[in-house]
Amino acid sequence: MIRLSRRAAVAGALAALSAPSVLRAQTLRKTSVGVLRLSSSGPVFIAAERGYWREAGLDVELKFFTAAQQVPVAVTSGDTEFGVTGLTASFFNLAGKGALKIVASQSREAKGFPLVAYMVTNAAYEKGFRSVRDFAGKRVGITTTGSTFHYELGLLAKKYGFDLSAVTLVPLQTLPNMQAAFKGGQVDAILAPVTLARALTADGSGRILAWAGDETPWQLGALFTSPRAIAEKRDVVERFVRGYLRGTSDFNAAFNQRDAAGNEVRGTNFAETIGVVARAVQQAPELVAVGLPFVDALGRLDVGDIYNQIAFWQQAGLVGKDVTGKEIVDLSFVRGHLNVPKN
Amino acid sequence: MPNARSHMDDRRPVPFRGGGFSPMPVRYAAAIGFAVLLAIWELAVRRGLVSPIFLPAPSTIVAALGDLWRAGTLWQHVSQSLVRLAGGWCLGTAAGLAAGLLMGVWSLGRAVGVPFVSALFPIPKISLLPLLILWLGIGEASKIATIALGVFFPTAIAAYTAIDAVPRNLIRMAQSFGLPAGDVLRKIVLPGALPGILAGFRISTSIALILLVSAEMIGAQYGIGAFVLQAGNLMLTDQLLAGVLLISLLGLMLGAGLGRLERHLLRWR
Repeated sequence: MIRLSRRAAVAGALAALSAPSVLRAQTLRKTSVGVLRLSSSGPVFIAAERGYWREAGLDVELKFFTAAQQVPVAVTSGDTEFGVTGLTASFFNLAGKGALKIVASQSREAKGFPLVAYMVTNAAYEKGFRSVRDFAGKRVGITTTGSTFHYELGLLAKKYGFDLSAVTLVPLQTLPNMQAAFKGGQVDAILAPVTLARALTADGSGRILAWAGDETPWQLGALFTSPRAIAEKRDVVERFVRGYLRGTSDFNAAFNQRDAAGNEVRGTNFAETIGVVARAVQQAPELVAVGLPFVDALGRLDVGDIYNQIAFWQQAGLVGKDVTGKEIVDLSFVRGHLNVPKN
Repeated sequence: MPNARSHMDDRRPVPFRGGGFSPMPVRYAAAIGFAVLLAIWELAVRRGLVSPIFLPAPSTIVAALGDLWRAGTLWQHVSQSLVRLAGGWCLGTAAGLAAGLLMGVWSLGRAVGVPFVSALFPIPKISLLPLLILWLGIGEASKIATIALGVFFPTAIAAYTAIDAVPRNLIRMAQSFGLPAGDVLRKIVLPGALPGILAGFRISTSIALILLVSAEMIGAQYGIGAFVLQAGNLMLTDQLLAGVLLISLLGLMLGAGLGRLERHLLRWR
């Protein structure tokens, strides 16, 4: 309603309807979203490229970051209005101070979607480290304490009943460092993203024990904004989510289709959509096709898992005790969220 | 002063025009300056002028340190870092002094060494971390090597330039009095170069502290650097600044120690 009256003030409703492209440009509400150049942010690239936000009356600027921790910081500092990235302990620390609210889902670790591998070195394998149940007493390389890798190991420990404190977590900060430590036999195992895992198996330096998605599905990433944006410009958030959900729907239709046996099937508009994502992440389309994550078509969150993530970090002493899932997630922008806790 | 007095004998008193430009020790000024700054900072956060997410109040930072102390991990962090610092600094300094001495007194050493130092000094040691891990593993060796590498170059340069700056006429005089080369080195060159070398130590200890965070990027579970990294990764800004405070306190203590060493070794001046 507001949009219509503004447009009328500029040129009159009839003119606006007959020449929308020029006149709409004047009334588009400017906003911005922080993303990483990863295929898991595919819905953002699709929505931008196909003009879904433009049609929702928004002019969205994509701001690119290089590490998952930077995106929530950018939203906190007001550099971007929205952010899309993986959930880490640092995210919950910022969100717990009232700086962030999750409104929709990004990617999810799901069965049949190889994103992160549990890899063991050949030497450790020879010594009998042959199953994901054998982690206790081993040295495992991760990027940082509080990372998604850290949580994935925590989920594994819970599933197979081993004690996570019996695993020596070795924070190595970067993937190249992890690769070097793995090849040099300094750690028994690492959690490796799909591209690194494929490279390490190709040159024979280790074996893949299992994929995190098959073992422990969980809500890897989310779309979030600041509570202030929700309070002061709810319609902008609503319109942003509307455009974003058209992106998740396209992403899911193109990349996440499986046949009855669970094998990958190329979905609607596969080639064109992978081109959009490949251009945004600046990689060859064939490379992008290898590591495509699962994204819920309707942007629904696994809310129970987010509550579980908070509890896990709190138990590890890495997130403040006063942080609650209820305050961090706003369920009102997307319908039909999954696994919503009763209280 | 004697000048002024001789003027007085001529009964034409001229006021002393010197003064200034000679720094006098002003007691408590630094402490008061610090206190005022801290008070403003604390008030700004308490009054809500600055969000605690962006800049935690000094009291929360001290509280974070207190938590660390009570958890018993403070000493673990500090002691592990001190071992790495001492190992890396001693190794780098010994090698740097040897190289600097060679470059300073031996023409061939200088011809070979100076371009080498110029070529290798600017390499960011952080970019070599994956290689260091492959060569030395993720134990203490690679952490100590990172610090030693960082300390080596400034020490070598300081030693070489300090030796180069020893007044030639002193050396010539000793030689014309027939002092053997070894004595010239021990009694003239090295004492003459000592102030420059000690100034180099001030720089190299600071560089060692700066590199502590890089060194502890390599799979360290304890250490001040590892603590700072983890706090940054977790966005726990109060802990982050508590770690930074620890590092600068260490720097302050090392600086004071070097000051005493300078006074002791340079008494002859």
